[in-house]
Amino acid sequence: MESTIRTVEIMREKALAVQTVFTTVAGLREAFSYAVELTGSQGGKTLAAPGLGGEDRRELAALCEQRGISLVWENLRGHLGRIHTGFTVAQWGIAETGTVVLDSTSEDVRIASMLSETHIAVVPRSAVKPGAVDLAGELQEMMKRPGSYVAFISGASRTADIERVLTIGVHGPQEFHILISGENGG
Amino acid sequence: MITTPSDVREYRRDLKRALRNQFLGNTLETFASAFRISRARAFEGIDLPGLIGEIAEGKDASIQRLEELFQSFKTHAEAAGVKVHTARTALEANALIASIAAENGVKRIVKGKSMTAEETFLNDHLEKAGFQVTETDLGEWIIQLRGEGPSHMVMPAIHLSRKEVAELFTRVTGTPQDPENIDGMVKVARRELRQAYLEADMGITGANFAVADTGTIGLVTNEGNGRLVTTLPRVHVALVGFDKLVPDLPSALRILKALPRNATGQPISTYVTWITGATQCTTAPEGRKVMHIVFLDNGRLALARDPLFSQALRCIRCGACANVCPIYKLVGGHNYGHVYIGAIGLILTYFYHGRQNARAIVRACLNCQACKAVCPAGIDLPHLIKEVLRTVLETEGRKPAKNRLLARILPNRKLFHFLLRRAYLAQRPLTGGGEYIRHLPLFFSPEHQFRSLPAITGTPLRDRWHKMAPQVKDPSIRVALFGGCLVDFVYPEQAAAFLELVKDRNVQVEYPQDQTCCGLPAKMMGENTVAKAVAIQNLKAIDPADYDYIVTLCASCGSHIRENYPKLLGDSSGFGVKMHQFMDKIIDFSSFLANVLKVEPAMFREGGPKAAYHAPCHLCRGLGVTQEPRELIGTAGMEYAPAKDEDVCCGFGGSFSLEFPELSAELLTRKLDCVEAAGADLLVTDCPGCVLQLRGGMDRREGKKIPVKHIAEALAEQKRANGRRSG
Repeated sequence: MESTIRTVEIMREKALAVQTVFTTVAGLREAFSYAVELTGSQGGKTLAAPGLGGEDRRELAALCEQRGISLVWENLRGHLGRIHTGFTVAQWGIAETGTVVLDSTSEDVRIASMLSETHIAVVPRSAVKPGAVDLAGELQEMMKRPGSYVAFISGASRTADIERVLTIGVHGPQEFHILISGENGG
Repeated sequence: MITTPSDVREYRRDLKRALRNQFLGNTLETFASAFRISRARAFEGIDLPGLIGEIAEGKDASIQRLEELFQSFKTHAEAAGVKVHTARTALEANALIASIAAENGVKRIVKGKSMTAEETFLNDHLEKAGFQVTETDLGEWIIQLRGEGPSHMVMPAIHLSRKEVAELFTRVTGTPQDPENIDGMVKVARRELRQAYLEADMGITGANFAVADTGTIGLVTNEGNGRLVTTLPRVHVALVGFDKLVPDLPSALRILKALPRNATGQPISTYVTWITGATQCTTAPEGRKVMHIVFLDNGRLALARDPLFSQALRCIRCGACANVCPIYKLVGGHNYGHVYIGAIGLILTYFYHGRQNARAIVRACLNCQACKAVCPAGIDLPHLIKEVLRTVLETEGRKPAKNRLLARILPNRKLFHFLLRRAYLAQRPLTGGGEYIRHLPLFFSPEHQFRSLPAITGTPLRDRWHKMAPQVKDPSIRVALFGGCLVDFVYPEQAAAFLELVKDRNVQVEYPQDQTCCGLPAKMMGENTVAKAVAIQNLKAIDPADYDYIVTLCASCGSHIRENYPKLLGDSSGFGVKMHQFMDKIIDFSSFLANVLKVEPAMFREGGPKAAYHAPCHLCRGLGVTQEPRELIGTAGMEYAPAKDEDVCCGFGGSFSLEFPELSAELLTRKLDCVEAAGADLLVTDCPGCVLQLRGGMDRREGKKIPVKHIAEALAEQKRANGRRSG
């Protein structure tokens, strides 16, 4: 448990170093409020939460409605250019580089995480590993599946192609938020 | 289309033009300084030599079994719905990709950054075939719009200023762009390129990894364009060099640990994407992307079978060998490579783009070893560059006059030394009896005037040795001095300083008379036969069994003997054991004084000049000696004045400075500027070659002339001053 706290601490440090917004939430409910609050405060009108279903979706939809935000969760190609926030649940976190591992096999997950202005990724606290090598086995299993698309995401889209000046948001999201979910030691 | 001069004279014209580009010079200088810091920070806490060793070993193992890895990759990728192709040549690859586009009714193509596609000039081919191609990496897009090739493997547009980009974007968008608003210009690209993604039918990428056991390709990007290119269009083609094959994910992750850190000083690039097979694509027929992977040979498979050059396939395209190269820093990638640039570019150009494109640029190497020290795959880049040069010269059979002269003279020691003595007489009208050659002979052009050349001594070290040799009855240490040509024939006083320092230490020093040039100049000019012949003469001249140490005052001789003798002679020459004993016993001056004699402050005067230090390439990287000389400065009572870029080459590089005087002069100026900025009143170094360059440059320099000394001379002076004080 002590080591999980330390691992998350390292992840925070590494994530902040690449301009990622890093925070912790108790669970999915709090993550929903965070996403809706953030979208609203940035003037966003559409939130995409690919693959979200059942009670979770109803709950998020209700929060969105209160803020006048429309929630989309499937057929995201139909919403290209209109998605403000992409909300995804990632499989793992890699502390040593502040990285989120997101199974992006679904096209909708890719669109939500690539073509939004702000990308929010929720990572279960128990899924934060110290290094990429600690995940080699799990990643290999994922990659064995035909048609799989696995993304390591470590910050917002960036470039330094004009006079080496670091500029955020060239192609993908201009902001990247990591929400570590679950109680300490949970 | 990229053009690279095949003629040295033409090449030198290009170099001179580049040297006049102040923006380029400043940008690359700033970049080199920043890179050094960010790279060091990124590797903190990581066993870098260990990681380099693992990557080299892993790559070498893969290179030996590329075809087997390819079969495995193909089996797995095809099972996942991909069509895997091979292309023997660049032309075949381009034609294949064009036919895939045609078969799928493609009109518009978006591209992710790919050096392999640059290698095949894929865009030109596709555009001629009627397709509209848009580069989506910002830097690549900029150079595409300008009709240029990349000037760096990772930062393709690093040669351009914000003003040039603003002018370009103003033209492209029809709206005036503010050069100071870089964020705004990036947003222009975001807007323009977003449209291109949405309209494209096909995406083309390269790959950083092709993982054999799952049929997965790995893409490393910062901008995220690679993800959009592989997601939005209904067709995806990846063009991948055979050298990108790795057996499994852990092998890829090992490389990934080094790639971004060594490329841009980032712990990881923003997006690393792993794609296995045809992924979901809702606009494609059957909801799956049409996916093709084209493996490019273009000479790689032949390269893989070569015992020496196969190393070049270890390259992971981080671009660091350019970042640290003193020449790249002066002239940029458009003048230091063809498509591939930097040290690895000089090598790959020969193999992928031919002798005509390689023959001039491959000469422009200082052998300073900075690239070798920074390479994350442990490629012996300077050695491969010299081997390419040798191959080119031998293929062409028309060797430069200096090569022919060297081959005639150097193997015959007596002739060589006779000519050096004659040169002393011949130079007298030029020196006016002073320490420099004041008037260069006519065959030197005015460009060689950037430094004064030293006069050859009237009595070489070997001729005065019998008078100088210390007489020690029962020595505790037996030393052979390996002089090297410069100490022997130009700076015998450096050897005298050494003797002064070992006096009263019970050290016997001999100067074996049959020793000759170490052979480095020959190796530098690609004359391996000559280099081998003189190496054997030295092994015959000095029997390591007779000595405890073989001391040299010349870092270049020392590092050449230690590093290149085994390459030149191999173990089958009959000299194997003696050669290794020789190599084991050779030691540089500073290490000998600091670690063997363990000299102490009491021997020297307290207080003395404020001394800056120039770290010779062949000492700090060649022999790996960095601490000893700096400590000696303090031990000898002087104040050490740290200077910027102490370990950057002074621009000598032996015959390099004669062939490319304009580059040598600029490197020298920058070096001396750093020394002056350090506020030093003495400059010391421990290689007579560097002394020649630095002292000659100081002599010609306007303003303050700081004395330049071999560290042995500076120490002897401090010892003498101590004797005067106590005496």
